[in-house]
Amino acid sequence: MRTKKGVVAFFEHLDVAAAAARSAAEREDFARHVVYSPASFHELMDVAEHSYGPSPVRWCTLVGSLVGCSVGFLMPVLMDYDWPLVVGGKTAGLNSAIPNVIFMFELFVLVGALATIVAMLWFGRLANPRAEILDPALTDDRFALFVPGALLGGTQAQLLQEWGAYEVRQVEG
Amino acid sequence: MSDSAVDSTAWNKSISHVNPEVLRGVLCSPHKLFYVALALSAGFALMGAVAWLLQIIYGMGLSGLNSPVYWGVYITNFVFWVGIGHAGTLISAILFLFRAKWRNSINRSAEAMTVFAVMTAGLFPLIHVGRVYLAAYWMAPLPNTNNLWVNFRSPLIWDVFAISTYLTVSLLFWYMGLVPDLASLRDRTKGLKRFVYGILSFGWTGTLRQWHHYETGYALLAALATPLVLSVHSIVSWDFAMSIQPGWHTTIFPPYFVAGAILSGCAMVYTLVVPVRKMFSLEEFIKKEHLEACLKLTLLTSSIVAYAYAIEFFIAWYSGAFYEWSIFKLRAYGPYSFYFWVMVFCNCVFPLLLWSKRVRNCIPVSMVICVLINVGMWFERYNIIISSLVEDFVPGSWGHYEPSLTEIAITLGSFGWFFMWFLIFVKFFPFISLSELKLIMPAPRRSSADSS
Repeated sequence: MRTKKGVVAFFEHLDVAAAAARSAAEREDFARHVVYSPASFHELMDVAEHSYGPSPVRWCTLVGSLVGCSVGFLMPVLMDYDWPLVVGGKTAGLNSAIPNVIFMFELFVLVGALATIVAMLWFGRLANPRAEILDPALTDDRFALFVPGALLGGTQAQLLQEWGAYEVRQVEG
Repeated sequence: MSDSAVDSTAWNKSISHVNPEVLRGVLCSPHKLFYVALALSAGFALMGAVAWLLQIIYGMGLSGLNSPVYWGVYITNFVFWVGIGHAGTLISAILFLFRAKWRNSINRSAEAMTVFAVMTAGLFPLIHVGRVYLAAYWMAPLPNTNNLWVNFRSPLIWDVFAISTYLTVSLLFWYMGLVPDLASLRDRTKGLKRFVYGILSFGWTGTLRQWHHYETGYALLAALATPLVLSVHSIVSWDFAMSIQPGWHTTIFPPYFVAGAILSGCAMVYTLVVPVRKMFSLEEFIKKEHLEACLKLTLLTSSIVAYAYAIEFFIAWYSGAFYEWSIFKLRAYGPYSFYFWVMVFCNCVFPLLLWSKRVRNCIPVSMVICVLINVGMWFERYNIIISSLVEDFVPGSWGHYEPSLTEIAITLGSFGWFFMWFLIFVKFFPFISLSELKLIMPAPRRSSADSS
């Protein structure tokens, strides 16, 4: 796994980690810092909302759903146009809109869901086979703040200690 | 639903215990009972596969299907398994949107149940058609040699779209929830396992950016899945309700089918969670309060189903439609009355015991009730399908139907197939959603640590 050079600070407590993340977001010398969490705790999600703004995933869902809905409408109509079927003695080629609603709905959901997953992976920088795994505890019960390019003796490392990190470690690239 | 009770759950464990204790089932050898259960399930699945193979070789004559009963146990099984698959996405999506915290400890098993149940359901139209090797030809909306497209006004093609969309979305929802947990597994394993879990987790590291988009995506997927949950069994019910067959042609079918599906699904979640919870020693994470909340949902849907049964009878009588009322009398007092009363007692009478908190907190008794509900729900579908087909408008075409040994073997095989996949799942994947469980447990805070 590829790892960037920098400094990583580990936190045991959620409130301390959230306060550190909020402080780091406001400082220029913490540019491109990365916060790690084992779960989506509300305190940290608030920080993320502030840092990244509303997720663009929702727009992809909307576009995907609308495309799916349109396909769901056009598919039966065009197929019926191509080869009209006589159903229940009704005039062939007479498009019945009500049954088409089912295909519009199903494809609305299906394509919307697929677009959501693709967008979530894309914007979350996944799938990434060269992901940086700084410490196994980060998917367990610990929080961390990584500052790329920082040094152990630098201002950032000192601030991280002051913000309540129980360990600050140099990460070699 | 009973979220206040779940909020006040006394957690003896912290989030630091979640990964080591929940993943112990995946990383260490499970209880001997697990292997016994797996062998039994695989044995039943094999029996079903052999029966199906014989049916393919010797033809549909091996089944009990006849004129006028062209839909028998296979379609009963199809509707039953789709129904079972209902509760998974309900618990995952709808209860997520309602912020029902108790779902966090059982949603993973419910989602897995959904995926395997819908997978099992998907087999039955194939089994039912007999010459399965021709299925690929008519499954897809491709023109045949006469340049004829599928009939988009048929409920059967609606069903194809509904079920395949439901399976895909349920699968995505389940897998999306698994991604952070697979990363936890990757970080606790070595060698080949680490490599495989690393690939499966897409390189998830738990950065805030990933959580941010993940949470948005998860909520949107839940919002998309919610109407899907309600629509899928409504569409299955239209397979019946769109016909003019007495006992089927009724507008109550969609809500009645949806409530029944949720009832059977919740009962099946309970049936699956309780033994696995015991086998993997997860009592500290799937609390009694969580199981109780699931039983309350079962009780609610049982009441809706009981109301639907009563209304169905009332409307059949009140409408003055002779054939409709005849079918309902036949259901209650005719040759299939045994199945009818099994259905009534299992789905409406026995669940009434769940009004008692003492019964809800007694896991063995609740387990028996849930198993009985599943039996009752299977017979509900059997009752709807068979009793309406044996006697329609023309007395000259009346008939009788009993399932053959082949059909019974395939039915038991489907249970084996379903439980086999579920057990394989609990061995290789976290049975509880680790990241979501951590959200309902007390988070580690310096403020609380200082005060203590």
